[in-house]
Amino acid sequence: MNVASLLVLAVLLGAVIVLGLVLRPRRASTLEFYLAGRRVGVMTNACAICGDYFSAASFLGVAAAVYASGLDGVWYATGFAAGFVPVLLFVAAPLRRFGEFSIPDFLGRRLGSDRVRLVAVVVVQLVILSYLVPQAVGSGITWELLVGDGIAGLTPYATGVVVSTVAITALVIVGGMRGTTWTQAVQFLLLLSAFIWLVIVVIASGFDYPRSVAELTTDPLANPAEVDGQWRLEAESNRLEEGELAYFGHPGGRYGPLGQITLIITLMLGTAGLPHVMNRYFTSPTGTAARMTTVWVLGLAGLFYALAVLLGTAARSLIPGAAPDQPWLAELTVDGVLRVPEHAPLVLGRLYGGEAGLAVVAVGALVAVLSTIAGLLLASAASWGHDVYERHINPNATQRQAVWAGRAAVVVVAVLSAALALGLRPYSLTALFPSIVATMVTWAFALAGSALAPVFILAIWWRGTTARGAVAGMTVGAVTAVGMVAAATVIGDRSIGELLLTPTVIAAPLAAAVTVVVSRRTHPPAELDRLWAKLHGTAADRRAVRLARLTVTGINGPDGGKDSEKKR
Amino acid sequence: MASSGGHSPWADPDEGGQWVSDLGDEYDMPTDVDAAFRTLRRVAVGHFMVFLGVVVAVPVLTLTVDWWSEGRLIGGMTPSFVMAAVGLYVFFFLLAIAASTLSNAVEDRMLGDPEPPDGGPTTHAEQRGDSP
Repeated sequence: MNVASLLVLAVLLGAVIVLGLVLRPRRASTLEFYLAGRRVGVMTNACAICGDYFSAASFLGVAAAVYASGLDGVWYATGFAAGFVPVLLFVAAPLRRFGEFSIPDFLGRRLGSDRVRLVAVVVVQLVILSYLVPQAVGSGITWELLVGDGIAGLTPYATGVVVSTVAITALVIVGGMRGTTWTQAVQFLLLLSAFIWLVIVVIASGFDYPRSVAELTTDPLANPAEVDGQWRLEAESNRLEEGELAYFGHPGGRYGPLGQITLIITLMLGTAGLPHVMNRYFTSPTGTAARMTTVWVLGLAGLFYALAVLLGTAARSLIPGAAPDQPWLAELTVDGVLRVPEHAPLVLGRLYGGEAGLAVVAVGALVAVLSTIAGLLLASAASWGHDVYERHINPNATQRQAVWAGRAAVVVVAVLSAALALGLRPYSLTALFPSIVATMVTWAFALAGSALAPVFILAIWWRGTTARGAVAGMTVGAVTAVGMVAAATVIGDRSIGELLLTPTVIAAPLAAAVTVVVSRRTHPPAELDRLWAKLHGTAADRRAVRLARLTVTGINGPDGGKDSEKKR
Repeated sequence: MASSGGHSPWADPDEGGQWVSDLGDEYDMPTDVDAAFRTLRRVAVGHFMVFLGVVVAVPVLTLTVDWWSEGRLIGGMTPSFVMAAVGLYVFFFLLAIAASTLSNAVEDRMLGDPEPPDGGPTTHAEQRGDSP
């Protein structure tokens, strides 16, 4: 057991809980609990969105995908970052200006239909669950490597799942959106710091990024595989050229001719439908602030993923040379190559920073998991508590009752995701998918991008969108995406299976087409001009800015206030 | 105690919240909103096409141009690797800055005049003389 790791972890979890307690909402209000009073600034929100978005799939999974597949693994990072461009162009500002609590709430109000809201709740919950489970799996894997021991008779993996779930559930229940926002922002800065530190020590040790890519590309790419009960390195075949082998720096290690494009489209559209990320835009004070928040997110995401790709390359290049001198690597590697690619950043941390280095990276991985779980639980709570309980079960609920309904939803969803993660065995799945955490998150993106994003974007940009059209579109998108991914688990991830695993390229256009066709046969909601002014007008933004200016001038004194008003 | 869920489907959740409604002289005319919406849609779609073109070009170049996957650009990195590992992130950020700057400018220009006190032209479209 690593005492330094445990100490760092205990301090971190304690700090997170204290931060949540200090920043907890002072009033029992749904606006405070779900949206932090809509007062989150641009940089704070950008960091919080990054903390929300950069899950185990980003912190461990991207480096793992690069480690296992070389250039083709980089496309995970590209897709994750690219997702915020459509969000910036089509979603961020109008979504905030419309100003609701959640994606289902937005769709329900924009289209004037409770049925739309309920269908969206079902899809949102499916997305959240399929995103939550890999986070819990990531926390189990990290605990296994970080601590290595279980608590109360649990395995190390199970202990990681349970401890992370309990800690973050407590934070969300106590801190609500305000506490979660600040902890997510701080957690993102910790993640980024961990990556920056690791990159600095790796480069200081003599790692030459371009030269390493060239050297890794001289020999065929090979990864550990269990054959007849024995682990050995198996060369990866090139999926672009039949009969050829794959190389680290060349395409073909993971995707066939269509694979890269279908993955990018799946991740790109999926981001615009992720409930925990979209909900954060409702916390911005104005639509313009939401737009500028996304610009900063893109900058921070680019930096973060560029570092993750570098670290995946560094791990592939450096670990084989270190393995003979590091006995602890023997059980993790086969001929110097890691059995579980997600271990790559963690092993680098231990190689270059000893036990403390492992603790820094492992705690970073846990932080990534915790901050994403927090966002997902809050999104789930908003969906159950606001969209179902307040709207349908108890429309006359007091604010206190509504907040407690959200808290109860947090507990139920957390327990469910932890139970599913405990039922999974990541080692058996790793043989099927090289980076299981990133792969499972891709399934969540596929569902969000296929069912929610097309309807969401049409509702914002096409006046003709109707409630029936939206319901039909979401249903077709969800059924198509789930059906294709389910078929892929039978067919495998080669040829047509590649397309089935990233179904958005087919499911999203289908969902959009169905939405348009059905909408054309039905009538859009009344008061469309008023809804349009709310979505695309800036009056509310200007009011908020004026109020903020008046508040500042009020603080500065009545004279200053008059002066500044005259200048306007 | 206030009820949380009883308001109408069209109620504004911000009403009665922190953004007080006594600053009610800010408003947008439907024609202005529609004109701004159409301009913003052009901005968004235009930037999206550039974005999509560049993102799709990278794998397409991989399939069609040998130099893209085999050449050497920085040290031992191929152009394809450089673009995927660093270049695209820089492109996304620059595109985001350009799109947000233009969108903010469009909104500032097309929306946002206070209510005219003397019954003059009430919309940006009328002020420009191109209103129906």
